Amino acid sequence: MIGRGIGAGFVIEGNRIMTNAHVVSNSRYLTVERDGDPNKYQAKVLFVAHDCDLALITVDSPNFYKNMTPLKLGGIPELESTVSAYGYPIGGERMSVTTGIVSRIDFQLYTHSSIDQHLAIQISAQINPGNSGGPVMQNAKVVGVAFQGYSGDVAQGVAYMVPTPVINRFLKDVGDGRYDGYVDLGLTYGKLQNPAQRKFLGLKDDGRGVIVWTVVQAGPCAKILKPGDVLLSIDNHPIASDGNVDLEGEHVEMPEVVERKFKRDNVKFEIWRDKQLTTGSVQLDTVPPYFMQGHKYDVRPRYVVYGGLLFQPLSLDLIEAYQPQDLRLRHFFDFYVIDQLYLEHPDVIVLTNILPDPINTYLAPYRGQIVDSINGKKIHTLDELNQTLSEPADRFVIDMIGDGPPLILDPKQVESARERIRTRYNVVREQNLQEQPLAKPQDLQTKL
Amino acid sequence: MRALFIATVFAFAVTAGAAVKTASLPPNKDVKQKPLSLVRVNVTGQPYDYFRPWQKKAPVSKRALGAVLSKGRVLVTADLVTNQNYVELERAESGEKTAANVEVIDYEANLALLEPSEKNFLDGIAPLDIAADTVVGDRLAAWQLEPTGALVATEGLVTTIQMTKYPVDVGQFLTYRVSIPMQYRENSYTIPLVKNNKLAGLLLRYDPRSQLIDAIPAPIITHFLKEAESDHYRGFPTVGFSYFSTKDPQLRKFGGENGKGGVYVTSVEPNMPAIKAGMKVGDIVMSVGNHAIDENGNYVDSLYGKIDFTNLISAHAYAGDVLPFQIQREGKPMELKVTLEHRDANDYISPPYALDEAPKYLVLGGLIFQELSRQYLKEWGPNWQREAPQRFVYLDRLQSEIFPGEHRRIVILSQVLPANNTIGYDEFAYLTVTKINGKEIKSLNDLAEAVKQPVEDGFIKIETEEDPKQIELDAKSIANEAPELQENYGIPSLQRLD
Repeated sequence: MIGRGIGAGFVIEGNRIMTNAHVVSNSRYLTVERDGDPNKYQAKVLFVAHDCDLALITVDSPNFYKNMTPLKLGGIPELESTVSAYGYPIGGERMSVTTGIVSRIDFQLYTHSSIDQHLAIQISAQINPGNSGGPVMQNAKVVGVAFQGYSGDVAQGVAYMVPTPVINRFLKDVGDGRYDGYVDLGLTYGKLQNPAQRKFLGLKDDGRGVIVWTVVQAGPCAKILKPGDVLLSIDNHPIASDGNVDLEGEHVEMPEVVERKFKRDNVKFEIWRDKQLTTGSVQLDTVPPYFMQGHKYDVRPRYVVYGGLLFQPLSLDLIEAYQPQDLRLRHFFDFYVIDQLYLEHPDVIVLTNILPDPINTYLAPYRGQIVDSINGKKIHTLDELNQTLSEPADRFVIDMIGDGPPLILDPKQVESARERIRTRYNVVREQNLQEQPLAKPQDLQTKL
Repeated sequence: MRALFIATVFAFAVTAGAAVKTASLPPNKDVKQKPLSLVRVNVTGQPYDYFRPWQKKAPVSKRALGAVLSKGRVLVTADLVTNQNYVELERAESGEKTAANVEVIDYEANLALLEPSEKNFLDGIAPLDIAADTVVGDRLAAWQLEPTGALVATEGLVTTIQMTKYPVDVGQFLTYRVSIPMQYRENSYTIPLVKNNKLAGLLLRYDPRSQLIDAIPAPIITHFLKEAESDHYRGFPTVGFSYFSTKDPQLRKFGGENGKGGVYVTSVEPNMPAIKAGMKVGDIVMSVGNHAIDENGNYVDSLYGKIDFTNLISAHAYAGDVLPFQIQREGKPMELKVTLEHRDANDYISPPYALDEAPKYLVLGGLIFQELSRQYLKEWGPNWQREAPQRFVYLDRLQSEIFPGEHRRIVILSQVLPANNTIGYDEFAYLTVTKINGKEIKSLNDLAEAVKQPVEDGFIKIETEEDPKQIELDAKSIANEAPELQENYGIPSLQRLD
């Protein structure tokens, strides 16, 4: 599907244009225009940060930047102070300005990836599609990038901007020529406010400590933490029993300490385990299983077509595309990380669709099921599925998760139907096992 | 579907197709109106509140028409008298009333038999016989009453006869689907369907928009009545396996079957007749009780033609009967002698229904523990499968797959009442309890025992499948504050274990 969209952006130092990731995601052709300049300039994407909905783009033509003063970034505006949002709401040639006040500063879900929560500032200025990526200004400095709002059932006219700590983090992250993204501890934890629980754990009544609930095995903390541990401090900042820490004079939630860090940075904990105090340090990293539950952009979906059967790994995009009602599929999606289902099923391989052909005409009831094993061999990834189905066999007995019957395929029949299916359904490639087209390293290291 | 029963009543809307019939005019004033074989049934019901398991919900009144059968019995649907506090029969022509008792009830088949407390109450009413020979194309009349007691009969056409799920969703039963331009009178629950003055069925559900009735058919009623004659009502029989069509030639070949027909056995329930008779996953069932089964699981019925073979079991067989199953195992024919049994709702891990039964619960310092059941999940309303906590729905729907062969319950921490003992815990809800004080919990009774033995220093340690994984309570403090908790939240007893 080819669609057009517009957004706003602003020039910062280094001839770079900052905008939202969702403005440039999946773009095939990108142009920018300046107020008062009749030309359209072709632009290219330098960096996209889908996890915080920011992107940097640039224009090769030096004319574009002529007489242009880059905007400077400010800090976090005060509550109730006035800010102005600039952009091109609902299209239009002329810039629009709306003003409002800073209403709230809090962690919010960033809907672009729909798994990331970062600091966001709610403002009362009107923000509409076309404002996206535009600067929100105060005292001639950028204090945020307009990026999302709510309208409808829950609330109306609620607008959010990406605040400068998030913007600065993004700019710092890309300083080495690539965007590594946010790192995560990969754990869930709870408040320690119950007196009986504190006493049981041997803690003093000093209002300190949070208890570790789940440690994501694929995350950085798996090496040093286990459920039931009490975290007393993070990087020497005492953790209050409600999960807050004091950071640079502000009372913020514990993950804020990690929010400001980068891949391969370390974080240090004081840990209370079995009524003993220990310390531990971990090197931070991304937690890949989470990505399954978030939106993906600028990647080619992975799939395998075999005998007209389309196998795809479970993902948020798959759930949204097929809207499956199946309880098991929803369970695998919802509890993929927290129940550590990814350990056994790094890819949850779903038979999503069937390209009808005489060889698969009775297989419709298997649609929406999850592949467990083939000829008795557990299938963990799409690569394994592809590999197994390309090995010689008299037949493939594909066991699906659950009590249903196995799906039986005869490789000879599949082979004889292969050209027929390819031609009839215009299957250009029978599989894509890589999300990224194999890129050369220099492509990733775009020079500024 | 019950919500549809509150249909607007149009007094003048009896349409042309409806044969309106009153009792024939008396030749002189002395002759009384001939009594119909119907009585009004007025019920006050009060279901339990699974979110406040120590109390009941507000009472609701329901009205229905019961079919008068022989031996002074009145037949109604089970959902009418479920959770009833009081049942009353009312004679249509005179308005005389008497209390009634529920003699037999079958929630799965949705049928119940009532008996008036006054033995002579039904005197003079001619009992209805049962017409079990209804086929597709027959016309059935739905009998309702005017406020005066006069009969309103609406005729409809039987369009299909097939197996469908009944309200409690245990197995499938034979169902008549009748296309009928019926207007609801008095928001009636049970409505008899009559063929040639014989009872052919009872209304199961009605969709006023498409004007389609699903009816509990006479063969199911007959089965119920016959079973009700026995001293100990056992319920409808089951076999306990699931199956899949063998239309796919590859699957047939895999099962070793080269002929035609039969269904592929995909799972066998533990402790059920099929597994006891030796049935295995991968078997192909070729015939049941000497009726050949096609690849879709249908046999040819003498009345209905092709219909799902489960009808042979639910409508035609009884618990205790031995049915021969011809199967193919790895290409070899075999016969299995399957002794049918009724599967009680309590023989499930998450019982599919619990009606006229008080829910079990235990309140500990403000934490409310219950056993997972579909009755509990149905508190989320008709869309409970989407709206109830997803892990619970998953555990309920896939229970035999998740806990194969286990005889147990799933104990849940359903909610937390804010109290001194639950400070910091009040956001927890819908958790699955795995251990208490280190002991595995497979029923609420397990839990009640385990909390009596606190771990070191008087702590009660509760472990859950989900986050928070573990929480602790102070046993002494719970005991001290129990009276205040009861007083504060109006809980008459902190536990009900039977």
